[in-house]
Amino acid sequence: MKGSNLGELEELIMLNVALLFDEAYGVAIMKEIKTRCNRSISISTVHAALARLQEKGFVSSRYAGESTERGGRRKHLFRVTMAGQKALEEVRSQRNNIWNEIPSIAFNAK
Amino acid sequence: MKSLQRPPKHPFKWLERFCDPHLMEGISGDLEELFYENVREKGRTKAVVIYWLQSLGFVRAVFKKRPARVSNLKAVWTNYFLTAFRTMRRQKYIFVINLLGLVTAIACSLFALVYIYDELQFDRQHAEGSNIYRLYKRYINVLEGVDHYTYDTSGMMGLTMKEEYQEVADISRMLPWWHPIIFSYKDTHISSEGMHFVDANFFEFFDFEVVAGDPATFLEAPSSIVLTESLARRIFPNEEVVPLGEQIVAIGDLEYTLTGIVRDPPRQSSFEFEALISWNTTVPGVGQLEWEWMNGWLAQGIYTFVKLTPESDAAQLEHMLPDMMHRHFEERAEQYFLKLQPLAKMHLHGEDIRGTERMNSGSITFIYTLAASAFFVFLIACVNYINISLSRASRTQTEVGIRKVMGSSRRQLTGRFICETLIYSMLATVLSLATIWFLLPFANELSGKELPFSLFLQPISLLMIFLFTLITGLVAGLYPAFILSNLTIATVLKSGSTKIAGAGGWTKKGLLTLQYAISIFLIACTFVVMKQIHFLQNKPLGFDKEQVMVLDIGNEVHDHAEVMENMLLEHPNILSISKGLSTMGNASYTITVVPEGYTDNLDTRIFHIDPVFFETYGIEKLYGRTFIRGSMADSNQLIINRAMMDFMGWEDAIGKHIRINEDNQSLPIIGVVDDFHVHSLTTSVIEPMILRLNTWRNWYMSIRVGHGDLQETISYVNDAWDQFATRTPFDFHFVDDWFNEQYIKERNLLGISAIYSFISLILCGLGLYGLTAIHLQHRSKEISIRKVLGAPVASIVAMMNRQFLIFIFFSVLISTPAAWYLIKKWLDQFAYKISVSLAPFVCSVILILLISSLIISILSARTALANPTKNLKSE
Repeated sequence: MKGSNLGELEELIMLNVALLFDEAYGVAIMKEIKTRCNRSISISTVHAALARLQEKGFVSSRYAGESTERGGRRKHLFRVTMAGQKALEEVRSQRNNIWNEIPSIAFNAK
Repeated sequence: MKSLQRPPKHPFKWLERFCDPHLMEGISGDLEELFYENVREKGRTKAVVIYWLQSLGFVRAVFKKRPARVSNLKAVWTNYFLTAFRTMRRQKYIFVINLLGLVTAIACSLFALVYIYDELQFDRQHAEGSNIYRLYKRYINVLEGVDHYTYDTSGMMGLTMKEEYQEVADISRMLPWWHPIIFSYKDTHISSEGMHFVDANFFEFFDFEVVAGDPATFLEAPSSIVLTESLARRIFPNEEVVPLGEQIVAIGDLEYTLTGIVRDPPRQSSFEFEALISWNTTVPGVGQLEWEWMNGWLAQGIYTFVKLTPESDAAQLEHMLPDMMHRHFEERAEQYFLKLQPLAKMHLHGEDIRGTERMNSGSITFIYTLAASAFFVFLIACVNYINISLSRASRTQTEVGIRKVMGSSRRQLTGRFICETLIYSMLATVLSLATIWFLLPFANELSGKELPFSLFLQPISLLMIFLFTLITGLVAGLYPAFILSNLTIATVLKSGSTKIAGAGGWTKKGLLTLQYAISIFLIACTFVVMKQIHFLQNKPLGFDKEQVMVLDIGNEVHDHAEVMENMLLEHPNILSISKGLSTMGNASYTITVVPEGYTDNLDTRIFHIDPVFFETYGIEKLYGRTFIRGSMADSNQLIINRAMMDFMGWEDAIGKHIRINEDNQSLPIIGVVDDFHVHSLTTSVIEPMILRLNTWRNWYMSIRVGHGDLQETISYVNDAWDQFATRTPFDFHFVDDWFNEQYIKERNLLGISAIYSFISLILCGLGLYGLTAIHLQHRSKEISIRKVLGAPVASIVAMMNRQFLIFIFFSVLISTPAAWYLIKKWLDQFAYKISVSLAPFVCSVILILLISSLIISILSARTALANPTKNLKSE
């Protein structure tokens, strides 16, 4: 495996999985990202990222109950695992640390 | 709404094939959801396109189906192996039959493969080999009924070819000497049979490893000699490094300078020399031997090799050679037709060309026989395996049924059965290698070839063995696996055992017939070979070949021959002694004569003998008289054989004259003796012959020994020999042994065909045993019921016999014509042969019938004699 570093897209998707809690499946995640970040991601990319995240153990999945929508196919629902949460927090704290230490003049320098 | 606007089916179908089934439902659901949305927003056409594109997007490695987990597969295969082993253990006799059959088959085939491969590698070390041809000729003499091929050429043929045809780059001549030569260095005297005269360019033609000396020049000077390492070691036992430049006494009691040492020719070489003497030694005016005959046109017996330029065509050159013969050798131009044989073909394809005795020659007939026999034995063993597997179907069916219910696919089941076969074939391969290791000395003796066991372990052999194991597994395993895994669950579990017992019924019968046909074929052929060899060895030769001992006295003993003869004759067990230039098989050559009333030259065999010759060999006088001891006049008289008389059509030959061309004398005939053979019966018929009193050197001494103590007589002769010979070791042969040795190739053939047909017989028997046993198992209830109803044992046995005997009948129909054809062809090559009769066929059929019905009868009698309640109470 490539190691457990989170990619930018992966991070984004995981955040959305967490956000959509219990309603996080492919199309929903895709639309959420579209509305929130105005980013078009193809459905297959979402699924690929989810599959990879599941391989790393950052998300877990289950199938929703039977329904008559979507041609009778169940939704594949995802949830962030503890490991996933830890990874997200790590990324976040790393970022915060960096933000905190950036000298204020760094962005004003011309 | 929905039903009208379902998304297209195709992308879904192949996505389903591609994607992991666990992910598939979520993926396809999402795709469908998006599709409906798109239909609403963008219209159906656009939605379909988007659906397609989105589906394509899922063709990524992450979504790919994973193979079933490894641990599971391992469990399945472990189970297959386990079941296979259990099956083997449960039915021990079947296991033994199967294994024995496969071991024999693989051992036979591997031996044959390695043997053939080895034979094909002969004479491949020569870099120029592809341009080198061996000169041979077809010798036709219509008048005398001669028409054969021979390697014997004369010394001038090659030289003239090189001079006159630009296609010929170079030529090299060789004369392997007929007799052992004594090599003397100081007090060491070594006899060697491998003395060759060779042209100076011998080592340019042929690549042999040189240890000492310069191969470009060391055979240039007259009286140069090059030895092989092993002979050098024997001649110079005390020298670390062999001293070049030393003088060795050899042929003609002359001195030769040692100019080089070469390694012994490799095992896979047709050339078997031990000492090479430069050709220039024999050239008149150059060397000390001055042998006109080796450098002329007339005398034959020299081997010529021709190197062509790479672009020239041997066939074309062959067409030009008659012209050369007409210009230089007119008297034989209509008899000798020169031909070229590629060097690579020399070892195996020289069978019907005479003059191979002094080289290591193989036999393509032998190769074909071996290959065919091995293939047949292999086939029989595979058939056994297939038949037994099929007959066991009823036993296996439950397993197949359960496995199918548990979800085994057909392919997996096939794998399961092939796996079993592979276990067999691997086990058999290991065992057969052990068998070969154990039996190789015997096989070598039978085939007359020294194969070291290491040959079986060289990389190419190992590869062959590996492939062979695989092929055996597939050939023997594929069909039964196919049939067995084909059973449907319903049939299998319904316990309709009798129905399945006949799985592949026709195939089984066909294979059985084939098997028997092969066996009968092999046995019949073996019988014929056996009869032919017996015929050759026992045909009356026209003289008494028993108890005649021949000594070579063309050496230092020669001058004391008279004294030695008198000494020997004192022994009570020595009946008579004849000395002469010629004896059976040796030193008889042809000369041209003109008999009275004949206008042409006639090639006729001449024998130089003494008056006792006829008595010693027990040759019968027909007309006139034989030579009288001490009569000087008789040396100018002739005796002829009956063939000569018949050839000339003389009523009364006595007093007729024959002119001998070489000394231009016309000599009268004083007697006619019965025909006698002087050569192997495989090739030579009786030729017209004249016999003269020998006035020149005596080369051979023939001693007729009585029926007293043979060992004691031989040691007496040995003692006498040692009194006169200081250098030459005592050596002798018996005439009958000499004749028997001429049939060594035929005996090798017999050995191999006997072994293989015996094996085929055993395997057939084994197979039949297995089949019958299983068959009887299936029918044990039927037989018991028959018995209860009053059928006598004999009728049950007869019933079982009848079933199998039908196949044997059919197999006779198949095999007889094939064997007949082959036997006819093989016999055609002999000058003297038996006529093909029905006897060998009848014998082999009876043999097969006897063995088969013995097996069937014993087995079925055992079942029939068993207590019926035992078989019937189980239900």
